[in-house]
Amino acid sequence: MSAASDPVPYDPELVDGLQAFLDLVEIVPLRADTIQVNRDHFATIIPSMAVQAEGRAVTWEERVIPGPGGAPDVEVTIVRPVAASASAPGVLSIHGGGMVLGTRYFATGELIELAERFGAVGVAVEYRLAPEHPAPAQAEDCYAALVWMADHAHELGIDASRIIVSGASAGGGLSAAVALMARDRGGPRLAGQLLNAPMLDDRNETTSARQYDGIGAWDRNNNDTAWDAVLGADRFTDAASPYAAPARAADLSGLPPAFIEVGAAETFRDEAVAYATRIWATGGQAELHVWSGGYHGFSGSSPEAEVSRAANAARDSWLRRIIGSRE
Amino acid sequence: MRWPLTRESLPATRAGAGTMFPSNDEVIAGRAVDWEDRVIPGPAGAPDLEVTIFRPRDRGDRALPAIYNIHGGGMIVGHRSWETGRVVDIVDELGVIGVTVEYRLAPEDPFPAGVEDCYAGFVWLAENAPSIGVDPDRIVVMGGSAGGGLSAAVALMARDRRGPRMAGQGLLCPMLDNTNTTISSLQYDGVGTWQREANLLAWECVLGDRLAVSADAPEYAAPARATDLSGLPSAYIEVGAAEMFRDEDVEYATRIWATGGQAELHVWAGGAHGFDMYMPEAGISRAAIAARLSWLRRTLGA
Repeated sequence: MSAASDPVPYDPELVDGLQAFLDLVEIVPLRADTIQVNRDHFATIIPSMAVQAEGRAVTWEERVIPGPGGAPDVEVTIVRPVAASASAPGVLSIHGGGMVLGTRYFATGELIELAERFGAVGVAVEYRLAPEHPAPAQAEDCYAALVWMADHAHELGIDASRIIVSGASAGGGLSAAVALMARDRGGPRLAGQLLNAPMLDDRNETTSARQYDGIGAWDRNNNDTAWDAVLGADRFTDAASPYAAPARAADLSGLPPAFIEVGAAETFRDEAVAYATRIWATGGQAELHVWSGGYHGFSGSSPEAEVSRAANAARDSWLRRIIGSRE
Repeated sequence: MRWPLTRESLPATRAGAGTMFPSNDEVIAGRAVDWEDRVIPGPAGAPDLEVTIFRPRDRGDRALPAIYNIHGGGMIVGHRSWETGRVVDIVDELGVIGVTVEYRLAPEDPFPAGVEDCYAGFVWLAENAPSIGVDPDRIVVMGGSAGGGLSAAVALMARDRRGPRMAGQGLLCPMLDNTNTTISSLQYDGVGTWQREANLLAWECVLGDRLAVSADAPEYAAPARATDLSGLPSAYIEVGAAEMFRDEDVEYATRIWATGGQAELHVWAGGAHGFDMYMPEAGISRAAIAARLSWLRRTLGA
């Protein structure tokens, strides 16, 4: 690996949005001794469910469901369209935050959108965070929520043949992990996996990881902190669980159709492209979008930019193809 | 395309294709787009070139962005009229000027005849931009399949020769790698809309038997052979997940990013080669065309 080249530049229309994101979210660099400070800060910027759902055509419900074997119960938030159907598509939404930060209420905004626009019934899962709970506690909690969702599909009004798993950043990596677990354990059959700027590879050594070392949203150093917390001594070794770092999975065959999107100007670019490429090599289905000049999370944080609108439209197209539409 | 495509069937394929594609007026179908044919100078010592210029009607005196479109057909078949539909749609939708170029085909005119024709047409467009109402700072070179590969080559040539500025290169399922060694080039052996056998024939016609699949092939024939992809105009690379060119196109984007260059990459689930042309009503085709228009808007300010 040669020294990192210059980074791919940002789309000029995204520059202000990136700065606003950094000023709002990443005010303290994520290091081993700043994880708690960042959690405290996140708690101040995630709106409550009541605020998120206000004026939206959804209802929501908090539940406690069984956790993985021998582990604590898991809290979930269920989001439903006001006009419910008997067999809606189902979405398990997994929040981001490097597997060390955040709550399920980072993921409920997506579920409100999907409930309104696709009639989807969504479940947002509160998984245990690292480093207090090392891998694969995170993925096991998420998988438990998927199994519960599938087992209760009838009660939830979900069409069990149209359940997808979806997430951004760490939530994208955990979505990929849940898809691997469902395959390996003969679990629920997923209709798709939506991996938005997914965190897949603990090695953190790609060209793009090196290009975004010290710059941008979720730079290489933040990522490094998170992987250390998640994997501890297993990091960089063959003991690193593919259910934490799906790039470690030796076999990517037999997975549900994947939608993988990432910015061209972010740490995760190359690992996302590699994951898609490995799925295709097995004959698996994947759609890949790498958006010009996009920073980590650009389409959510700068939704008015032309590139963000295009990214959101491409994702909608895939969702229509995979879980259908009421529009 | 007529299968199997062979050296012997090339003339018949070309002749048959001439009647397959509708006239400019039929394609325009009443939309507010005017067109004219022109003859422009070819490369030094080579014949003149035919181009067609498509203009949105009633756009005033303001200089407009332009797309310069290079048609597909493996560099061995095809005519600029093959992609009139794609060009007119963009002219009509974005209010830009479209130019299509007739370049020489292999094997009668092997490398570098075709790509030099394409480059000469681009230089002519940039140098004559004011007289045809084009803003020379806002020209995108684009094309599908062989036209995508030729567009990538014209971008390399413009960089290396310090030629006119190019605002962007639109590479739609581009034909970039003559070695035919990627996984996807092997997965679509005998299936799909542009098959491995046709691709091998095309590279033989363009490069001759010795260089056809050689790593020593010239980069202006096969842009994947370029050792340096830095300093190129912003790229748009689009391909189907279910086609031969998938892996070489992903690789080209990855190599551009590694230099710090700008590229947007779209690999559409289950897309066959040229899916947007052959299956325009499919969900992925509509989504792909929308993404393409978005990139053109961002790149051309259109």
